[in-house]
Amino acid sequence: MSLKTFAGGLHPPDSKAYSEHKAIEICPLPDELVIPAAQHIGAPAEICVSVGDLVKKGQVIAKPKGFVSVPIHASTSGEVIAVEPRLHPMGRPLPSVVIKADGEDQWDESLEQNNPENLDAEALKKILWNAGIVGMGGATFPAHVKLSPPPEKKIDTLILNGVECEPYLTADHRLMLEESERIIDGINILRKILSIDTAVVGIEANKPDAIEKLTAECAPHNITVMALEVKYPQGAEKQLIDAVTGRQVPSGGLPMDCGVVVQNVGTAAAISDAVRLGHPLVERIATVTGPGIKEPKNLKITIGTPLSHLVEFCGGLEGEPGKIIMGGPMMGQTQLSLEVPAIRGTSGLLIFRKGDFSTKPAGPCIRCGRCISVCPIHLQPTTIATYARLDMVDEAENYHALDCIECGSCTYICPATLPLVQSIRHIKGGIMAKRRKS
Amino acid sequence: MLTAVLCLGGIGLVAAATLGAASKKFAVEVDPREAAILDALPGANCGACGEPGCSGYAKGVAEGRLAPTLCTPGGSGTIQAIADILGIEAVATTPQVAVVLCQGDNEKATSKYRYLGLSDCNAAQKLADGPKTCPGGCLGLGSCANACPFGAIEMTPQGLAVINRDKCTGCEKCVSVCPRNVIKMVPKDATVHVLCNSHDKGAAVRKYCQVGCIGCNICKKTVPEAYQIENFLARVDYEHHEDAAQAIEKCPMKCIHDFSTGYPAGSRLATTKPETSKQPAA
Amino acid sequence: MVSLLLILVSAVFVNNFVLARFLGICPFLGVSKKVETAIGMGMAVIFVMTVASVVTWFIQYFVLIPFGIEYLQTIAFILVIASLVQLVEMIIQKTSPVLYQSLGIFLPLITTNCAVLGVAVLSIQKSYSFLESVVFALGAGLGFTLAMVLFAGLRERVELCPVPNSFRGTAIALVTAGLLSLAFMGFAGLVKG
Repeated sequence: MSLKTFAGGLHPPDSKAYSEHKAIEICPLPDELVIPAAQHIGAPAEICVSVGDLVKKGQVIAKPKGFVSVPIHASTSGEVIAVEPRLHPMGRPLPSVVIKADGEDQWDESLEQNNPENLDAEALKKILWNAGIVGMGGATFPAHVKLSPPPEKKIDTLILNGVECEPYLTADHRLMLEESERIIDGINILRKILSIDTAVVGIEANKPDAIEKLTAECAPHNITVMALEVKYPQGAEKQLIDAVTGRQVPSGGLPMDCGVVVQNVGTAAAISDAVRLGHPLVERIATVTGPGIKEPKNLKITIGTPLSHLVEFCGGLEGEPGKIIMGGPMMGQTQLSLEVPAIRGTSGLLIFRKGDFSTKPAGPCIRCGRCISVCPIHLQPTTIATYARLDMVDEAENYHALDCIECGSCTYICPATLPLVQSIRHIKGGIMAKRRKS
Repeated sequence: MLTAVLCLGGIGLVAAATLGAASKKFAVEVDPREAAILDALPGANCGACGEPGCSGYAKGVAEGRLAPTLCTPGGSGTIQAIADILGIEAVATTPQVAVVLCQGDNEKATSKYRYLGLSDCNAAQKLADGPKTCPGGCLGLGSCANACPFGAIEMTPQGLAVINRDKCTGCEKCVSVCPRNVIKMVPKDATVHVLCNSHDKGAAVRKYCQVGCIGCNICKKTVPEAYQIENFLARVDYEHHEDAAQAIEKCPMKCIHDFSTGYPAGSRLATTKPETSKQPAA
Repeated sequence: MVSLLLILVSAVFVNNFVLARFLGICPFLGVSKKVETAIGMGMAVIFVMTVASVVTWFIQYFVLIPFGIEYLQTIAFILVIASLVQLVEMIIQKTSPVLYQSLGIFLPLITTNCAVLGVAVLSIQKSYSFLESVVFALGAGLGFTLAMVLFAGLRERVELCPVPNSFRGTAIALVTAGLLSLAFMGFAGLVKG
């Protein structure tokens, strides 16, 4: 049987063997947690606690500003010892709440447990918003916004993203194997919110054990599990929709424009906790891996744990670290230091030693066209990058630079090691600035 | 002989008549002052006035929509010329030049990370606020040099922008493109500048830069009227800068520089001495 | 009919005025930075060439020859072409100021454009009939436009390339023009004439 997929894309070595057979372990609490107010796409939350306050686990410490924003919660009980800018995974100091853990890890008593059977869609969305549920695949887009399509957009399919196409990462894989009942419960809640029946879980064929387990468990719930060809970036929303339904999201459009909502399997699990247990998003599964880590592991981590604490729990560093990446190697964010905290979008921590990665300076484009053949959006990365170098904003816009999903396939494949994605991102900024002006 | 003259004359007459009729029919109104102003402008199409090119500015001035003083590259000579054409009084402006207030090239200042990306300061600045540890220092990737319509900015091999004071016309293109605001407009007759743009405390500056201002106050103690210290950063007071040069020797970090003695070391301009003309040629 | 077609094909491709006969090089190099301006210039040249060949044909056969003053050919043709160009200039200035601005000095330069005078003189030399000379002029104009647009397209692409400093500007433009001319040599022998 040939497996479904999308056109374009590439096959980087998946390197998942480091951690794919390691069961999820619970990472112990650090003494001090740094919880930034900006952990999602949209307006950063507004910090509403001050130094000296005693907080409980799950208590709101920052309130959302606007609809596309979510509250931030204390991820353990303890005392607020500082409210100040701290180094954020984005690479600059941003307002954060520093909590000294009291070790009790006590939940806030006011958190309500609910039965989703008795609630309507609006009430459920409100719960998700209050619980700070965001896309757990790494993009951290607030879930309640995705689940509120305008009435004229008819949604007919829910796709669960269990693809995990980024090399090295195995967090979703382990979650599907070990906590499938939470995921299925989350899918049922999502279907109730969207009032639809069709739900498809897309999983790449390199996770046969997860496919087998979920297929068996999903059958009674009328949820389809679809095995997909292994290819990067299948986990990108638009590519996943193409692979599963054959529909194309229009240029400049959203998945809802073709009747689809996509959520990560991790988000589904978090949704289940938020509704059934009343637990806001204060912990997540993340993979700590890479050649620079002594014992790669899949961990259940508390939001706000410094990366150095995770490294320590995984046996420390192997050799001299050369590159610290939060997330996967293709789209993850390179970090300046291990002192930054893990946040809601931290799907993994990847450490390379010096010499594990290429530092070849960029050469001239040899017009081999490989970037064009791998681009999952079917753009011409090299042309757009040339326009970016010359700041030719209008031309870049005509070549649909704004449709770039920044998956990194072009940069990965480029034999001249040109910084293609960075160039496109740069000119995207220019196009947005031009649009704001006019 | 006569036929030749008559024939050619006839052809000429027909052509002249046609053109005469056409010039009536296709007449285009042009304000003669617009052409005159355009002639007076430097013609660099640099955009300093906010218009896309010199002709747009000439049109705007002739229509009275734009002020006649907006052409900084032309300086006071151009302003005077435009004022003469329009028959109004010229307002004297002090000529300005841009200066990069930083000496911390890749040898003298440290980096947070190794940058291998696009050679563009704005693109680099988006990655964790740029590779340079100093929050205000020149990134040295040459965005200003690319933006300069007059080729007045040189990038040193060590990664520092140096502006040629004789070629700079003060159009401010570089100022608007620099993501770190390290380029400042200064009066052309001021030659002494504190070449640092870091407001960090002295101890922090010492860690990442060998030539950064640490806010030690020594320059202000030496020549009180010529210097101001704000947030651990000294600045020359351009209203009273006459004696500023006296503090150069006293500065422990060697970050005060007098351009009348030459450009900073490391620049290809270092061997040339800038003209210290008070007024640019019209 | 076949001979008219041959004249047209020959003028457009085989004996392309710019790339094979080296006529009208200055606007070819000067106004070919953007495809749009190149098209505008090409249209202006097609118009001027066709009208000029009509008028000069009449002048040649109804004025110069009957009065026996063929020796005035050059000056008469220049006079006519110059006034035609002046006319076109006025029309363009009125109807399309943007095109007028981008053509700049090269519009009046069509006056002494050797391609235009070349068409007029060549069609007399080859003793073309009236229809033939119109088709010849049209073909020459089309060939000129084709060369201009192709070259402008190339130059727009070259603009994106990191050209070595010493080759920037006119140097790389001339190299490109040479390569384009080489390519047009491929048409040689397609039509005789």
